Amino acid sequence: METSSVPTPSPGGLPPALRGILPVLIAVPVLLLFDRLLASAPFATYLLSIMGVNVILAVSLNIVNGMTGQFSIGHAGFMAVGAYVAGVLSLSFKETALSFLPVAASDQVFLVVALLAGGAAAALCGFLVGLPSLRLRGDYLAIVTLGFGEIIRVVVQNTDAFGRALGLSGIPQTSSLAMVGFWVFLVVLVARRIAYSSHGRSLWAIREDEVAAEAMGVDTTGYKVRAFVVSAFFAGIAGGLFAHFVPIINPGSFTFVKSMEIVVMVVLGGLGSTTGAIVAAVFLTLLPEALRSAFTVMGAEGSLAQKVDQIRMPVYGLLLVALMLLRPQGLFGMKEIWEVLPRWLPRRRKGLA
Amino acid sequence: MSPGAEASPPRQEEAPLLQADSVSIQFGGLRALTDFNLAIRKGDLQGLIGPNGAGKTTAFNVLTGVYRPTRGDVRVAGRRVNGWLPHQINHLGLARTFQNIRLFRALTALDNVKVACRAQGALHVEGADLGAKLRGALRNYRDWWRALLLTPGFMAEERELTRQAERLLEVMGLSHRRDEEARNLPYGEQRRLEIARALGTRPRVLLLDEPAAGMNTREKADLMVLIRKLRDDFSLGILVIEHDMKLVMGICEQITVLDHGETIARGAPEQVRSDRKVIEAYLGDNYLETHGGAA
Repeated sequence: METSSVPTPSPGGLPPALRGILPVLIAVPVLLLFDRLLASAPFATYLLSIMGVNVILAVSLNIVNGMTGQFSIGHAGFMAVGAYVAGVLSLSFKETALSFLPVAASDQVFLVVALLAGGAAAALCGFLVGLPSLRLRGDYLAIVTLGFGEIIRVVVQNTDAFGRALGLSGIPQTSSLAMVGFWVFLVVLVARRIAYSSHGRSLWAIREDEVAAEAMGVDTTGYKVRAFVVSAFFAGIAGGLFAHFVPIINPGSFTFVKSMEIVVMVVLGGLGSTTGAIVAAVFLTLLPEALRSAFTVMGAEGSLAQKVDQIRMPVYGLLLVALMLLRPQGLFGMKEIWEVLPRWLPRRRKGLA
Repeated sequence: MSPGAEASPPRQEEAPLLQADSVSIQFGGLRALTDFNLAIRKGDLQGLIGPNGAGKTTAFNVLTGVYRPTRGDVRVAGRRVNGWLPHQINHLGLARTFQNIRLFRALTALDNVKVACRAQGALHVEGADLGAKLRGALRNYRDWWRALLLTPGFMAEERELTRQAERLLEVMGLSHRRDEEARNLPYGEQRRLEIARALGTRPRVLLLDEPAAGMNTREKADLMVLIRKLRDDFSLGILVIEHDMKLVMGICEQITVLDHGETIARGAPEQVRSDRKVIEAYLGDNYLETHGGAA
């Protein structure tokens, strides 16, 4: 937990109204520039987009699993809700455009609307799933979210509107690196500001001792449900983004394996650490690619390289076992990277500074 | 139910802040508490004692809403709170500490108190009216937005919370521990921090569950002074569970003695000390036979 109680490190001398949204004003042009620079590198764009989606998922799950100390293992379910709702919306508005805007801008407006709809649908699901199960303590949430993830997958698999097992194809590929980056930025900002606010303190308190938090007047169920709703919303957004840059979405993309992948990211980074979740998400997105390249270089002639997706889960498993043995609190524990890193650098130790 | 059906109790000022009305609680076949009565008014300093397993902590848990009474009523500030959740009862002005310290261990001392300060202002229970509930829920979500946009109101509230919490730390002599994680505090200071946190909820009645457990003689003496000071400075009603007879006899004006869930004595310290049943419960009936009655 942060030792500083100052809400957010914010630049002084700015009008308060501006201070709240200043990070957004800086981020947007930077992201657009980045997008332009990578326009001629489709694979890098794709990989970075996947990475961004994974970061959104990990950071949002960290709000529930890390900060609040609840254990949700159905995040892919919320992602699926967002992906399919946004996907179906975009498909049905494919031919329409806002006449007063250039086509590209109109596309982006529709994308944002679809994303928000997907996020809202996921948030609603989060509310409906969370309200009954978060009243209970302990493992119930894990069981219910696990069930929810599977239910969503089965429902999608058997609904014509969602393309059944074949999935949805032909969703306009209007997502861009800048759009993904913007939402990554937004989820990180939200997570950080929640963590430093009185809401965050209440969430940490619930994580530390639910009975005491309740006795001190914290409406524990309310806080847990709100954290869960926010988390589900961003999972829905991540799903919506995903649907707009992969050529086809099918139920196979949102299985229990995907949920576990996100949980692994959060645990690996350290439960409660936003930067930990980011680092772990980036690392675990690049890992399969790195393995693939390594096998290709070693001359495994494609056959092994193609199996990377199959050996990914055992690798995750080994990674987790090693982590639990060597560093059970995760990479950064509850802290953030800038609180942990100085201690790892030998030169900055006490007495030498 | 019509508004007149449950009339507010007459002369509200005189209703006790906390009242237990022949409360019984039963876990399966075990009667943990039988016909427990209690009334605490502003300025009271009462004690609750009894041998191990007498039902003292159970009584606390019933009063604070952790358990629901099997029979009888609990009233806080004149309102019947059977079946309310602990945080709702807390909002009516009842705060407690725990026998086995339950701080938010990874949070700083300051943040521990700020959680309590904030929670108090966050939500007020106004019955089960759907409109009120909806408004409350909307306000909670609006508060999230304020935190996300760092509105001036939010920043001001944050500063105010810090100020309140710092003051409470000062009262409890913990200012030097402000930014230290609660788990790193020495035992006695953890106990004091728990009291500071309870005070953060702006209670009218404070329940202390063995506040002197694990303290040395010197710390106990300080604690006695402190408890009296809290009652006077914050105009509280205080109920203390304590094993240490010297402490209870020293500060409490009225003492209730529990044994096997039943109230066996009640009264001023001298009265309780010489009560035959109390001596029996604490020292066994052989004691009386060999020593020929109470001293």
